[in-house]
Amino acid sequence: MKLAFQLAYRNLVGAGLRTWLNVGILAFTFIVIIFFNGYLDGWNLQAQRESVKWEYGNGQLRHQDYDPLDPFTLTDAHGKLASAKSENLSPILIRQASLYPEGRMISVLMKGIDGNQQSLSIPTEAFQETDAEIPAVIGQRMAKSNSLKVGDKILLRWRDKNGTFDASEITIVKIFDSDVSSIDLGQIWIPIEKLWEMTELKGHATYFIANEHYQHQEISGWKFFSKEELLKQLKEIIEMKSASSSILYLLLLGIALLAIFDTQVLSIFRRQKEIGTYIALGMTRWQVVKLFTIEGSMYSLMASVLGILIGAPIFWYFASNGIGMPEYVTEEDMGITIAQRIYPAFSFGLLLGTLALVVISATIVSFLPSRKIAKIDPVDALKGKVQ
Amino acid sequence: MEPIIKIENVTKKFPEGEGEFVALKNINLEFQEGEFSGIVGPSGSGKTTLLNIIGSLDQPSSGNAWVMDKNVAELSHKESAQLRNLHLGFIFQVYNLLPVYTVFENVEFALLLQNKSKEERRKAVMQALEWVGLENIPDKKPSKLSGGEGQRVAIARAMVKEPKIVLADEPTANLDATNAHAIIQTMKKLNEELGTTFLFSTHDEKVMQYLNRIIHLKGGEVEKDEIITAQNQKS
Repeated sequence: MKLAFQLAYRNLVGAGLRTWLNVGILAFTFIVIIFFNGYLDGWNLQAQRESVKWEYGNGQLRHQDYDPLDPFTLTDAHGKLASAKSENLSPILIRQASLYPEGRMISVLMKGIDGNQQSLSIPTEAFQETDAEIPAVIGQRMAKSNSLKVGDKILLRWRDKNGTFDASEITIVKIFDSDVSSIDLGQIWIPIEKLWEMTELKGHATYFIANEHYQHQEISGWKFFSKEELLKQLKEIIEMKSASSSILYLLLLGIALLAIFDTQVLSIFRRQKEIGTYIALGMTRWQVVKLFTIEGSMYSLMASVLGILIGAPIFWYFASNGIGMPEYVTEEDMGITIAQRIYPAFSFGLLLGTLALVVISATIVSFLPSRKIAKIDPVDALKGKVQ
Repeated sequence: MEPIIKIENVTKKFPEGEGEFVALKNINLEFQEGEFSGIVGPSGSGKTTLLNIIGSLDQPSSGNAWVMDKNVAELSHKESAQLRNLHLGFIFQVYNLLPVYTVFENVEFALLLQNKSKEERRKAVMQALEWVGLENIPDKKPSKLSGGEGQRVAIARAMVKEPKIVLADEPTANLDATNAHAIIQTMKKLNEELGTTFLFSTHDEKVMQYLNRIIHLKGGEVEKDEIITAQNQKS
């Protein structure tokens, strides 16, 4: 085997430009595959991290009637928990309301959240730093779409638990910047005590956010969704995007492999006297097949080394500086949490996996034409008469 | 003394169109160790076919070819490769040097297949290059060599493993007269010093002058088996 590698290496280096063309295209493919996958992995990790940080916490204990995708459930999907059971849980109550910025009417979700909570990154400490009657924090998207800024007072109308309309002014005390638009657009966050008071639903919550110490036990009327369950959908969407992107790099890999296949076929045809000489000098046919196959797979090994040499600074640069997303690309367009800057994640597993994919596929396409050598008549090969 | 090569009723047929072409017809020959012999004859007389059978690159359609007590007709691919690797050296008309290797690497190749150590290989290659007078150009690529130099590298490659038999197929066909003489003299010298059996396929008069036995083939049959006496032979 060592001999075959030694000879294959000599042959490839001796073949000059032909080798470097194949190695070049394969190295390019290697870089593209790693870059795309690293980009998607980075996006996935960021999306998961941001979703946990801003929306999911360590899991959600939802009222059994609450369906986040069905706003009609909001009216009745709320309840109380015994204080013993609400340990390590932070309540969130959701009610529908209308907001009147500059005379326009906007339907919003009014979300009550504990000012002292630590489970989510929503800046609820701002509630304590103001003496506004109803302080509210909103996200940047909500602020931008409605031209709202800190200090603005806007009329809010809501119904209490009996369905009676009430209205009051809220004051924007903080605008937060989050990559998770599902806690931002069309939503205002106010102190839950205030919301209980406004709606006469003292102690009620639509769902609870669990912190890292929470140990779930079955609670009648409530359903717990772990962090992993909540992230499942997100992961599935990323996997789907990853599968569709893989078509592109598989095409690229296909082109590179076709180049190797073509080189091998041409090589066997052009180098038939050489093949005959190898056999005359004492190599078995299968040793020659092995030599040609290893030559083919060595393209991929050399491409991997070249790919790492060229790719490493590129990967490092983008992993450190991220890739800016155009402003018009929003979570609504993508259907998934997306940051304005994505930091690709290039793991060791990704490198090894790509290396294995490139080397194994190059070895297979090299072997396919090479195995024909086993049937070559050495006398015809020496005369250059193999068709 | 047991012959080193024994050809026994060897016939070789090749398919040709609907029928077949008989390249060798019932050949019977024996060669002793240390012979410097040639098979001569016009094109298509079966010289190369006979050499290929002796070299275990081809097999007879019928009959037996014993080379170093091994019947070529019964050898597996692996066994015939082993026979060529250990005991046979080949010299071709167009040298067949491996183009991407240097002179040194071309000569070294046969020893690589024998798993010889680096030091053993280096020593043997340099000695073989000395035999053919090319010890000063081990790093040259075949494309930079003249015809005579190329064939001398091929001789060094065939001789480096000190085989029992060297089979040379028209070794001087691509060389001018001066180079042809020089090449044959080199081989004659190696034959005398190392006792290696040389078997040529040729129709070159210059080669014939040095041979101690000439087998004339015509139409696939032995026409004449001629022993050359020392007085008629060039040295």
